[in-house]
Amino acid sequence: MRPHVSVLRLPRGPDPNGRGFDPNSPRFIALCPTTISASTETGTDSVQMREEQRARSVLRESFLRTLIAMTNKQVQFHMYERVKVEAKFGASDIDVLNFQVSELHTPIGVQKEALLRCQDVISYSFDL
Amino acid sequence: MDTWRQLKPLEWCKYVNKEVKVTAHEKQQHHGWVFTVDPVSASIVLVTFQEKGGTPMVRVVTGHAVQEVEVLQEGNEETAGRLRVIFTPPGAHAFGPEEVRHRKERLRLWLEKNRIPVEEKGEMLCVANVLTVSAPYGAEDCSSSNEIILARVQSLVESNPDSTPDQPANS
Repeated sequence: MRPHVSVLRLPRGPDPNGRGFDPNSPRFIALCPTTISASTETGTDSVQMREEQRARSVLRESFLRTLIAMTNKQVQFHMYERVKVEAKFGASDIDVLNFQVSELHTPIGVQKEALLRCQDVISYSFDL
Repeated sequence: MDTWRQLKPLEWCKYVNKEVKVTAHEKQQHHGWVFTVDPVSASIVLVTFQEKGGTPMVRVVTGHAVQEVEVLQEGNEETAGRLRVIFTPPGAHAFGPEEVRHRKERLRLWLEKNRIPVEEKGEMLCVANVLTVSAPYGAEDCSSSNEIILARVQSLVESNPDSTPDQPANS
């Protein structure tokens, strides 16, 4: 078992706080969606709105079950710039913007606990 | 590039239970059966079944990285069932409305047979005005502020010889 690296304080990046996690940072505002896809009220009747809402609920519930199935499993994250890391999945936030993971294997060592920005991830996979 | 994220939920639904090829950023390509599309992040959940029935592999492509989704194959009842089953946690029970009614009836008769005053109040069974049993009428569904009565009724519910043992959801 590889020893853990201590938490490194890297040189300050472009934004002084949170390195992109801060909801007011320019990166967050640029990359993170502020609205979710929905039909506008005008031009659609209420039956369709109900259908749409039901569809949204079913899709979301299935997705939450996926996250539940992923908990405490080893997950491979394929990120930009061909970076591949593996970690034990802990939790996600409600907007699926951040993942809390443990035992993150990185090229510089194993981070005991880490937060991954979902905007940096292209795909992730795990075995059931 | 944003077209995938801007689809409406009903349009995303059309991809569920289909085998697709997803092209993502940095030339990533992934195949699999679509289990769901998250309406919040537009992430696509793909399932790949192993040849010899080993554990399936799940891959999620984040919504913002999706460039193109191509449908390869339509699914059917069987594939829908397989997808549903793998994400149901072990021990989860799904009772249809008919079965729930039968369970209520069986429990009510059993309680009456044991001379416990029980009446139906809407969806719930009300026992001696101090305990209620809600769907699906198992021992864990009893609710009361009186511990002694709760314990006695719970053991009675569990000892009901008529109740069918809980089965996992069929697909």
